[in-house]
Amino acid sequence: MSVATGEVITAPEFRAAGTDLSERRRSGLSCGSIIDLTASPDTIGIAWSTDGAARIGALTAIAAVASDARLAQAYPGITAAAQGLATPQIRHMATIGGNLAQRSRCWYFRNPQIACLKKGGSDCPARSGNHLYHVAFDLGPCVAPHPSTIAMALMAYDAKVTTDRRSGLSISDLLGDGSNGATDNLLASGERIERIELPAPLAGERALYKRAISRSYAEWPLVEICVRAMVTGGIFQQVRITAGGIAPVPLRLAASEAALKGEPANAATIAQAAELATSGAKPLPMTGYKLELLTGLVRDVVERIVV
Amino acid sequence: MTTTTINGRVESLPDDPDALLIDIVRDQLKLTGTKLVCGAGVCGACTVLVDGAPVASCLMPAQAAAGKAVTTVEGIGAAQLHPVQKAFMAHDALQCGFCTPGFIVEATAFCDQWRATKGTAVPSREEIGAALSGHLCRCGAYDGIFRAVADACAGRFDVDNVAAPRIEARDKVTGAAKYTVDINHDGQLEGLILRSRDAHARITMLDLAPARALAGAVAVSLLGDDKIVRYVGEPIAAVAASDRKSALAALAAIKVSSEKLPAVVGLDAGRKDGAPVVFDKASRKRAGNVSEAAGGPAPWKQNIRGPTAVFSTRAKKARSWVDEARQANNRLLVEATFRTATQQHACLEPHAAVARFDGDRLTLHASTQQVFHLKEQIAKRYKIDHDKVRVIADHVGGGFGSKASLGTETIAAIELAREAKAPVRVAYDRQEELSVAGYRPAAELKVALLASDQGGLKALSVTAHADTGAATNSTIAGLARLIYPAEAKDLSDFDVISNLPPGAAFRGPGGPPMAFAVEQSIDEAALRLRVDPIALRKRWDPDPNRQRLYDWASGLDIWRNRKPQQNGRYRRGIGVATGYWLYLWQPNVKVEVAVKGGRIVASTATQDIGTGTRSVLADTIAREFDLEPSDIDVRIGDSSLPEGPGSGGSRVTASVMPPTLQAVRKLKAAILEQATRKPAPGSNAPWRELIARSPDIAVTEARGEDGKNTAPGIRSPLREVGLIGMVFGWMMRRFSNIAVGAGVPSSVQVIEVEVDTWLGHVRVLNVHTGIAVGKIASPALARSQACGAVIQGLGYALYEARELDPNSGDVLTAGMEDYRIPGIADTPEINVHFDEAGFDHVLGNSVGIGEASTVPTSAAVANAIYDAIGVRLTEIPIRPDRIVAALKGRTAA
Repeated sequence: MSVATGEVITAPEFRAAGTDLSERRRSGLSCGSIIDLTASPDTIGIAWSTDGAARIGALTAIAAVASDARLAQAYPGITAAAQGLATPQIRHMATIGGNLAQRSRCWYFRNPQIACLKKGGSDCPARSGNHLYHVAFDLGPCVAPHPSTIAMALMAYDAKVTTDRRSGLSISDLLGDGSNGATDNLLASGERIERIELPAPLAGERALYKRAISRSYAEWPLVEICVRAMVTGGIFQQVRITAGGIAPVPLRLAASEAALKGEPANAATIAQAAELATSGAKPLPMTGYKLELLTGLVRDVVERIVV
Repeated sequence: MTTTTINGRVESLPDDPDALLIDIVRDQLKLTGTKLVCGAGVCGACTVLVDGAPVASCLMPAQAAAGKAVTTVEGIGAAQLHPVQKAFMAHDALQCGFCTPGFIVEATAFCDQWRATKGTAVPSREEIGAALSGHLCRCGAYDGIFRAVADACAGRFDVDNVAAPRIEARDKVTGAAKYTVDINHDGQLEGLILRSRDAHARITMLDLAPARALAGAVAVSLLGDDKIVRYVGEPIAAVAASDRKSALAALAAIKVSSEKLPAVVGLDAGRKDGAPVVFDKASRKRAGNVSEAAGGPAPWKQNIRGPTAVFSTRAKKARSWVDEARQANNRLLVEATFRTATQQHACLEPHAAVARFDGDRLTLHASTQQVFHLKEQIAKRYKIDHDKVRVIADHVGGGFGSKASLGTETIAAIELAREAKAPVRVAYDRQEELSVAGYRPAAELKVALLASDQGGLKALSVTAHADTGAATNSTIAGLARLIYPAEAKDLSDFDVISNLPPGAAFRGPGGPPMAFAVEQSIDEAALRLRVDPIALRKRWDPDPNRQRLYDWASGLDIWRNRKPQQNGRYRRGIGVATGYWLYLWQPNVKVEVAVKGGRIVASTATQDIGTGTRSVLADTIAREFDLEPSDIDVRIGDSSLPEGPGSGGSRVTASVMPPTLQAVRKLKAAILEQATRKPAPGSNAPWRELIARSPDIAVTEARGEDGKNTAPGIRSPLREVGLIGMVFGWMMRRFSNIAVGAGVPSSVQVIEVEVDTWLGHVRVLNVHTGIAVGKIASPALARSQACGAVIQGLGYALYEARELDPNSGDVLTAGMEDYRIPGIADTPEINVHFDEAGFDHVLGNSVGIGEASTVPTSAAVANAIYDAIGVRLTEIPIRPDRIVAALKGRTAA
């Protein structure tokens, strides 16, 4: 045990289930006051509009999202992402809002002895140090990938986030464009996420989620993607691909989407679109491999979605 | 005040928002079956049920349990054992047992839900793997866990009672087994260690007074007399106070000033000319030791200690042949550079000690691999009479080599307890456990292997540089002497010292990295010679134990039906590799076997770190008396018992079994002699009757020398290498109290993998491990050890690596999410074959299994990957980033 050297978070923090915060409290990384969030009918559970659109309360457990049959029908990319993250015990506790607002998993950030941009420091130690698991799209001063799998899946569905102060926030509005290395999200001090609003799904759309990891389970993604597609008559009518683990914020893979839309759903088109997944990538010295994994994942998931 | 219900009782919850559910369970209610391991929700050891759902109690705020029903492992088997608990016992789905309560809690929830919806259908491996994916077991008990969960779900354990091959299994599946971290004396203080933030510094001022000024706090200095710290995390001082929070405050109150010194981090930087020197000549004795025995003399210049090349033979010849072959572009010369990663022991029970003084008597509970030797070390260091120190370790939550010394946790606990005049517990947190508690050093190995035109092995050259941190004495290359005789061998070992924590012995120190490099080189030679890789090993490796294993391996269907290389996305391949370890035993070991109160009691001051020592003793004695193992009381884990062996060097079984058998023979004679009444004629259990009626008799026997009746070809491997080997053997015995016996414990493994060439993922499909360690004393437990050794080897091959900040030397993989050990779903089908011959000269015919069984795994995986994709991965762990880079012909970062 070393004494924390002041590279810590002293601001008050909200606590939903505490699966992220408790670890930071134990390590000494977070030592401000705790504001426990309590559920109200508006902030927990899943509600449906008559047009088939869902609303998910921020304090709904990940496991509840993962196991909801109607959600799985309408938004399979979200339930699959919820099933794929963390461990069963964490999924039983953690909330969907907490997943969006969780802090970075960067091993420098998590060490209370090391200064970094997210703790008021002046530079990113991972950039000049060991960034094996960091970004391959270098979009800002901090090179830690955003940890929220749920955010990446919600982005694929154009979800909107409602806070106690604002509504209609896109995932980009919530998390930014990656240029601000000091934060993991753009919530104002004291602002809390209350619920997530999903547009009604398209008729006949399908979706899949997958992460690339070294073991079988329970590992933060090296790369993860969520693909939504509507294929009719052998043609991609609509495609949406979002990716996580590769940038300071979840990314839409617009070039891949464009290469598929209106094109025949065959292996050659898909392989070509997969190659375009890395458009705009700027890997770090140690993260070049993530581009190959990203290409492989896009090819894998899109191929399976048209089967 | 809010309340929760825990195991059916209403309990109050504290208002402190930082109180976590595990604090209530372990500290407030003393329900110590629930274990704190990672503190981050990764390992699952703290799992409890909240309203029936498994959750991580190390993360759950205590207040979140208000009004809910909590069930801990103690609540699960309270009335009667759950079928899952019985299945774990019967299938030996546990070793050290530290992860077991968490697995039990999760598996019972899974099983109950499964039974409710699916009756007695059998869940698949995939379903079980997914359900238990939030749990980690470092011993690698997954094979038994699969079988146990499947059988419990299928209703095969809805019976009243079960036989457990591991005699302490019931205590481990119910959470009753007490580990060092669970010890809680009245008035016990919690100790913490202040550690260096700098990789290299001189401490110019250390003021403990502000810490001591805090109510109830004590502090001691742990600084060496040179006042220099040589790695991030080196101990500076220790404090103790009534609880962790107060101890943290005391730690923060200590004033330290230091003057930074130039530092050097890692294998490459440490070798550079002009790198800052870590140990000057005067301070070299402070360096740690990464081997199981003390080292010999070696040259030491700046940060490089070596070469140690005593195991070379005709080294100049080897070098010149290799040079000639290189110049001639001889395709029978195989040359490559291999790199292995730093592997952390990652014991789930951290290094921990609880010291208590009663007057001048010290009782120390310690998570140690050596209760007896630790007692002697403490007595010597603190000049206490040997009979006034007692070291106790009832259960030890894993060791793997890292708990075989007098460590900082013990020193701090003793000195704080003395200062405080109160018991003190020091238990490392996970960051300490994964940074400063020892590791298998990373290594770079340069190999040149030259086959002769006639297909023989002409020359083998291995140069190993080990990344030992603030330690020395790595032997990797030297181990290549005791296998594959060649006309000439040039084997050099170097330690590269740098400002990193000291490495330590780790399960077959030097063996796995040697095998990773040499076994891949052998494989490559087989390709070039166009010889079956097993046939080539059979030709080049005359060891009789391994000859039999080669015959077994080459007869495996999976080997005979190998397919040519594939081209699709998923490619399968099969690899083979060989490994060995020395047969070691400990002189002076004594075992007492006695009749006490009509029962047989066996006593020796050894310990069970999950390896099964209790059962080996119970099973052996039970067989001799034709009793059940549960009829035998085994007393171990207490230094006041007759001198027992340390759990290292795979030496326990071979050290305790011969004196046990001798003692049994003498005890039998004494029982018969003193028997006033002979057993009833035709009795089914004559010894049971005799023992029940016998007066108390105790026989203590010491471990004698082995017999001369060795089978053909079985010799001491050290004798085989001539004078230097004999000197080495003498030194091991003289300075490390370890004898090297005749015959070589060995393992040959055949492994099938599937490589996903798109995502770089390697799936191990099945493993066949053939093991020759003589007669198997406790078959179910030996199987557990063999499977665990493979699983740990798979971690070494595919996942595990310590990652550092290259500048500061901070360990970045200091949590279980970043230091990646195998999970249950990563576990392949494992087929274990025991060849029980070869050790007839050892009384009982058994030697240790722990190390030989893990040596070949990483090499067999790498050879299988080569077979699958046609690219040789020369660096482990073989992670996705390395696979995709290798397929593109790129060097991974």
